[in-house]
Amino acid sequence: MKKLIPILFISFVGLLSSCSDEHNLPIYGNRETKEVMVDGKTVVDTIYATVPDFTFVNQDSFVVTQETVKGKIYIADFFFASCPTICPIMKKQMIRVYEKYKGNSNVLLLSHTIDPEHDTIALLKDYATRLGSDGKQWMFLTGDREAIYDMAAQGYYATAMPDSTEPGGYVHSGGFILVDTQRRVRGIYNGTSEDEVTHLMKDMDILLKENE
Amino acid sequence: MNKVYCLFLLVLLGSCSDSELIGMKQISHGAQVYKTHCANCHQDDGSGLAQLIPPLKHSDYLKNHSNELACLIQNGMKGKITVNGSDYQLAMPAVNGLTKDELADVCLYVLQKFPETPIQLSEAELHSQVDTCFKAK
Repeated sequence: MKKLIPILFISFVGLLSSCSDEHNLPIYGNRETKEVMVDGKTVVDTIYATVPDFTFVNQDSFVVTQETVKGKIYIADFFFASCPTICPIMKKQMIRVYEKYKGNSNVLLLSHTIDPEHDTIALLKDYATRLGSDGKQWMFLTGDREAIYDMAAQGYYATAMPDSTEPGGYVHSGGFILVDTQRRVRGIYNGTSEDEVTHLMKDMDILLKENE
Repeated sequence: MNKVYCLFLLVLLGSCSDSELIGMKQISHGAQVYKTHCANCHQDDGSGLAQLIPPLKHSDYLKNHSNELACLIQNGMKGKITVNGSDYQLAMPAVNGLTKDELADVCLYVLQKFPETPIQLSEAELHSQVDTCFKAK
């Protein structure tokens, strides 16, 4: 038995080293299949859920649409400037992501306000500047209130709505939603957790490699 | 060995006066209140958030306004302030629902933890501040 222990140990180490951090990321949402003709043969193609088209305005009054994110991976999140609860923690974590990918033209960060009446474009500009954002890669978006809430629910599987029982008057999820170059959601991470945001950044690296 | 350790602990505890023990208990309670109501924005270490939320750690504003701390927490504040040479203008919401003890203890904790040199307020001063804020509300 004693002779077996080193062998078992070596096998275990071998097994561990065969595991890798690299893995394929899931694709969120419902999917449909469709029969298409390829080279004269009928094949079944899978259609994945994608983030719907959108039109918002950023902190510099520039219009931001699906064309802005075309060919890039991006993270979406929801906040409001006067939020006294989870937003500052989320923004601290988003600063980590921004610092890591600053200057990478394949990555965008889109923070959507859920309080567009209070969070004016001027206020968002100040907010962005104070967080150290250049305003181009990490943008702060506003728009029609219902359009933002619909986008949260339908596009990003997130919650955002007024709630008078919550501090600040709104309830929203603290998720960071990772979207790929084809506008498919590939991961949802707790933006208030340092560990989960570290995980998110590893997954962003995987997604960036997917597109190389 | 365990006996020696217990004896050492007993001697250590015995060396604290009653008032010191009460003070330690209040600061520890204040730390819990801070964690619940303040740390989201000002962070556990009091470092604040970039140029958006001012730091408490080594803050000249805190040092110069230590007598107003209880009321700042109780009532919140609006308008531009300058902290360690940087301007901040995000409104701080009032912390609702604190008891007088919670307010007093969180003030004790903040003034003990974050200034370069801890700021000591007497029990009487602190409770007078807290009473004033509660009356004002």
